[in-house]
Amino acid sequence: MTLYFTVNTVIEFFCLLIACLCLYKDRDPIWRLCILYLLFTCATEVSAIHIRKVLNQSNLPLYNVFLLIECGFISSFFHYLYKKYVNKTKWLMIWLSIFIFLFFAELMSNHFLNFTFKTASVLSLVFVLASLYFYYLILKDEKFERLHNYAPFWWVNGTLIFYFGSTSTNIFFDYLIQDKISNFAHSIRYIIFNILNVLLYCCWSYAFLCKYLQRKSSSSLA
Amino acid sequence: MQISSKEVFFLISLITIIFLIAPLVLIAYVSLYNRRKKKHNEETESLKKAFENELLRSQMEVQEQTLKTVASDLHDNIGQLLGLTIITLSSININDPAKAKEKIAAAEDLAKRSVKELRALFKLLDGEELISRGLIGAMAFELDWLEKSQLFKIHYHSTLKTLPAKAGKETIIFRLFQETLHNIIRHAKALEIIINLEFINDLLILSIADDGIGFNFTEIKKLHKGMGLQNIQKRVAMIGGTVFFDTAPGTGTKITITIPY
Repeated sequence: MTLYFTVNTVIEFFCLLIACLCLYKDRDPIWRLCILYLLFTCATEVSAIHIRKVLNQSNLPLYNVFLLIECGFISSFFHYLYKKYVNKTKWLMIWLSIFIFLFFAELMSNHFLNFTFKTASVLSLVFVLASLYFYYLILKDEKFERLHNYAPFWWVNGTLIFYFGSTSTNIFFDYLIQDKISNFAHSIRYIIFNILNVLLYCCWSYAFLCKYLQRKSSSSLA
Repeated sequence: MQISSKEVFFLISLITIIFLIAPLVLIAYVSLYNRRKKKHNEETESLKKAFENELLRSQMEVQEQTLKTVASDLHDNIGQLLGLTIITLSSININDPAKAKEKIAAAEDLAKRSVKELRALFKLLDGEELISRGLIGAMAFELDWLEKSQLFKIHYHSTLKTLPAKAGKETIIFRLFQETLHNIIRHAKALEIIINLEFINDLLILSIADDGIGFNFTEIKKLHKGMGLQNIQKRVAMIGGTVFFDTAPGTGTKITITIPY
């Protein structure tokens, strides 16, 4: 049982708990969808440990499937955040089409055996750019927002830190999976992703808390 | 070349740290910029409030000035007419029907003139009504009253028939115009007033010149005597315009106000 308790799973379950407590009554469906996404994340993480450690099989195909969910959710969330300022539905459609094409092209070139790390790198890059674009929209907007308790800002902060921070491991992914430094390299990758996951889910948990407080204050005002 | 595991660890750790620091710096920058935006918004808001206060003050002053005009008109014009009517009526001798008829007709004429003057006064009483005629209409009305006093020879030059309505600005410009005229009446000892109104490249240029005694602008300003002048400068600045005073003792005064409109 202790097998399933890692830094990643603990922080993910913690974030899921916060999401459940703060967002289950939220007015915005996309924020409520965070609960479902985090549930998928936790399920993927636990299943991946089970496949790897108990069944002694590669869990990469599972992460490949999760990449699709990740892309769909994060992209839709960014689209929702932009909607307050601009409508970028066309961009979303174009991006999702490109992603699907890249994903399946890489999957086929790998013969469905390896992780689609190139697509994941493109995904990271696009999400970093999406985060930067969100900051640009915030700064350009004439209306002032108190950023220290502005939920979308903290959600984007977590996303930017995670995807920007993971860039180095994505760049060296090819090198890291080489056999000669395999054990050592895996531990580096694991440590980096542990740190990034902690930062990501802390930011997201705080964003959910801000959203909850915002809902409470607006309902008490009403 | 063989890279050791230690080197790989160091390299990747370093890059990751850099890649983590970069977004943190960016987030700090966004927060800082946002705080500046807040400050800027607050300043804009306070400027807006100051403008609204000034507008309200201008409206009150326009009304006050109007009431003064009404009071002096009641005293000098309508009061005289009604006084004459009373004298005419009281001098009627009913035993002399021919003369009585003549005097009654004269009294009727005087009463009619009084009513006409009163009607014009009612229109003037409503300061907002005055500005609702448009800036040019309101200025023309003000000049009519001034001309009626026969104290000044007035020359008004403008090819403008109408101006686009800009509620706040119109009131302030009208008040500037009124205040300048009032300064001439009170201090200039002028006989002639020349007014020019032009609209060039989205700029409204209003110049008011008189042939009065003039004044030493620097001295008056240094002695803080010219509260009216300071008011004019403050209000012109508030609506983004500029004002230029061309005056010297004995040479009359020319005030040129340029306002983006």
